[in-house]
Amino acid sequence: MFQDELTRQEREKKRIAVIFAALGASVLGVLFFVQSFPQPFWLWAVFALAFVFFEWNAVEVNEKLFASPSIMVMMTAAVAFGPESAVLGTATMAAMAILTPADVRERRWFQPSVNFGQLVTSAAVSIGLLAFLMARIGGSVDPWTVSTSTVGLIALAAGLAAVVDGIVNLSLVSFIVRRVYGGGMNAWSHMVQLVVPYVGMGFLGGLLGATYLLVGPASLPLIAIVFFTGYMAFESYAGLREAQLSTLAGFIKALEAKDLYTRGHTERVAYFSNMIGQHLGFNGTQLERLRWAALIHDVGKLAVPREVIRKKSRLTESEYEEMQGHVHHVEDLLSEVEFLRPMVEIASNHHAHFDGNGYHGSSGDSGHTPSLEARILAVADSFDAMTSTRSYRVALSQEYAFAELRRFAGTQFDPEIVEAFVEVLTASGEQYGSPVEISEDEARRRAEHGFGDISNTARMKYDPSTQRADRRPSESEEPEARRG
Amino acid sequence: MAEVRLRTLSIVAWIGLLIGAVAFTASGLGQTNGSVLDWFVPVLVWATAITVVSIITVPAPSGSRLSLGIGAAVAASILTTDHATLGAAICLALAATGVVERNLSTTLNRTDGDFLTDGVGMATYAMAYLVVYQALSERHTLDPSWTVVVGVAVAGTLWFVVRALVAAFVGLERSDLAGRYLWLLALEDWAVVVSIFAAGTLFGLTWPLMGAWALAVAILPYAFGHLAFERYHSTRVTYGQTIRALAQIPEVAGLAPSGHSTRTADLAVAIAQEMGLHPNQVVELEYAALMHDVGRITLNEPAIVKAGYTDEDIARWGSQIIAEAPYLEHVSSLVAQQHRPYRSPGVEMDPDVPIASKIIKVASAYDDARTAMGLSPIESLERIHQGYAYEYDPHIGSSLRRVLVFRGEITF
Repeated sequence: MFQDELTRQEREKKRIAVIFAALGASVLGVLFFVQSFPQPFWLWAVFALAFVFFEWNAVEVNEKLFASPSIMVMMTAAVAFGPESAVLGTATMAAMAILTPADVRERRWFQPSVNFGQLVTSAAVSIGLLAFLMARIGGSVDPWTVSTSTVGLIALAAGLAAVVDGIVNLSLVSFIVRRVYGGGMNAWSHMVQLVVPYVGMGFLGGLLGATYLLVGPASLPLIAIVFFTGYMAFESYAGLREAQLSTLAGFIKALEAKDLYTRGHTERVAYFSNMIGQHLGFNGTQLERLRWAALIHDVGKLAVPREVIRKKSRLTESEYEEMQGHVHHVEDLLSEVEFLRPMVEIASNHHAHFDGNGYHGSSGDSGHTPSLEARILAVADSFDAMTSTRSYRVALSQEYAFAELRRFAGTQFDPEIVEAFVEVLTASGEQYGSPVEISEDEARRRAEHGFGDISNTARMKYDPSTQRADRRPSESEEPEARRG
Repeated sequence: MAEVRLRTLSIVAWIGLLIGAVAFTASGLGQTNGSVLDWFVPVLVWATAITVVSIITVPAPSGSRLSLGIGAAVAASILTTDHATLGAAICLALAATGVVERNLSTTLNRTDGDFLTDGVGMATYAMAYLVVYQALSERHTLDPSWTVVVGVAVAGTLWFVVRALVAAFVGLERSDLAGRYLWLLALEDWAVVVSIFAAGTLFGLTWPLMGAWALAVAILPYAFGHLAFERYHSTRVTYGQTIRALAQIPEVAGLAPSGHSTRTADLAVAIAQEMGLHPNQVVELEYAALMHDVGRITLNEPAIVKAGYTDEDIARWGSQIIAEAPYLEHVSSLVAQQHRPYRSPGVEMDPDVPIASKIIKVASAYDDARTAMGLSPIESLERIHQGYAYEYDPHIGSSLRRVLVFRGEITF
């Protein structure tokens, strides 16, 4: 049954690839007859290089917006090429961008062939529209002239053409997805998000094209410099952000690893929290905040003497105080770090109970329900604590931990989050904790008799360095809207 | 002392600017055939434009904030028709900027040093541009647009060099930093600078051809970079904060003396800057110094304390922890070598010990002597001197002495 579906997909993919390759080839063929290639050749080469560069390297402006200036390069090039060669020039530029280094490395054939068809077609349609509009703007005598009075109109036309490019592009992509994978994607909701960046980029592209026509080639190095430095700055910003996350995560992991009993705890809690957050429909920013909070939630514990954490017997009053102090250590340590402040607030409340009891951080109000993120963290933290081996007892089973979570739902834990977690973890098929049923008394007795086998703790699934993957376009064969 | 001297210099420069404005106005009015008003309106317009744009600043990699005023000055140099107009406009704008910065110095975060640096820079640029442009256009070798681009490129390069020199000079006046360090620091800013110059040139070239749209052509593309530079800067600040916070874990746990890592880092950075290390090296040194005792978190384990440990163990454990964080491999190796002596019997100087590690060793030992042993600054310095045989590099010891003298902790 499943196998049938796969062979059907393969057949459909081949058909679609052939159709799109033929579509692209015939569009280019027709254009070669009706238009001439841009002159001089180096002008086309410069724009094609810039276009391919930006197709391969999208700039992440923020979590929601991947701006790719390639649509802007296309509009600038179209205006600069002039009426005789705008459509052919840009369509051939688009054809240059279909093979990415990853495609070549992994010998993919499907994505490049459909991209060839859809990029060439969308470029031809949108630049055809731009040429039509520019002829109207310039008047019949000299259709491609630029003057002070027409610059704004040209830019507007380019903005419109960019949106059309996006619409054609997305329609073709969603057509492919529907045919090959069935179901499909909501192309229009994507487009609504992209309208503003597309109009903006297209508008700017039109302006820069007009600049080229008015000033001449001397404007090209200036434009290139501004964009290249901007791109470099965004790259170093993104790199530094990445470095910051992985430094914090790696550091905490290394510190934690000094203690066999807590090894991997933070990463698993971050993994579980992320799971719950995704299930509850958190957006990228919220998820990121939750992950950070999970990563730092036990930093304070690193500052608690090991004897107290490891103690097999019941803690004395002062030891208990010290243990709870780790919530404050988090605040002492990390409240100086500006961007972590909201996460520190969440982390410091992870021992606060749903009904307002429990141990609140200095930001939490005793007697009040902690924030949603803190409640998620509490469930994830308790679950991992129960399903891993501690100094005073061996790991409990997953079922036992679920039952415990449910028992305290409504008092210690938020019932909705407990149910969400049980549901999503069960659906994932992952299994944590002891493989056999074991009572808590039995678990404690075994630990006393030296059965606290550390190697039996839960398996690791979470890798913070790849956690950004969920926001990146997937590397699967699924064709994605390029230039998004 | 130095602050007073910079202030005096600024006031002298400010008076010079006023005299310059009057002189240029006189010369301009002598040449013009039209009315006084006709000549003076463009001067006022450009002076206002440059002043307003000067208030906007962008954080550069060196840590200082660059004023965008030079971008407006580039546009003015392209668009004004005679030397006197440009000269008068720039003199007036700089003088006005000085007044604005004086009154808003806290909000704008600009100092007398910045005023001097930007002033000298802008004046140099304007003169150089006029000379180069004149020379190029007399020969008619290039078309007009390229003449402008080449003129701006040459004058801009000169501006960059002069500005870096002045920034180094001003920095020397201000503190105990090595000129080499400041010069390298100013050179770090080239990407921001190139971007501002290109935007100004674009405006100058497009304004006569497309009017107000020139504003969009110049500002929109630049705005992307501006945003990125701002973000980069704020991320760098919080990255430093993160490392500072993580470095304090052993201290909060009571396993290392409180405040030791911060004090060691401050002193180590001061020594490195005094010795003229490359700015990038100084940043790494700062991180390494902050985290040099992070291996002490291992002492949380009673069994390890019972078994005994050495400084080398602390260094190794620390470097192992730091090595877990990607991008900090080099910092990790600096921490790993912080305990190593700078030479061994029969070897004059061990070339394998990085200078940053040697600096951390000295700074940490000095702070231990000051706080853990409670010695006076001069006694602590003497302990470093006593270690010249193998432990502490004498070059770093004498740099430490100069830093302490500058800070007024010891008199010499």
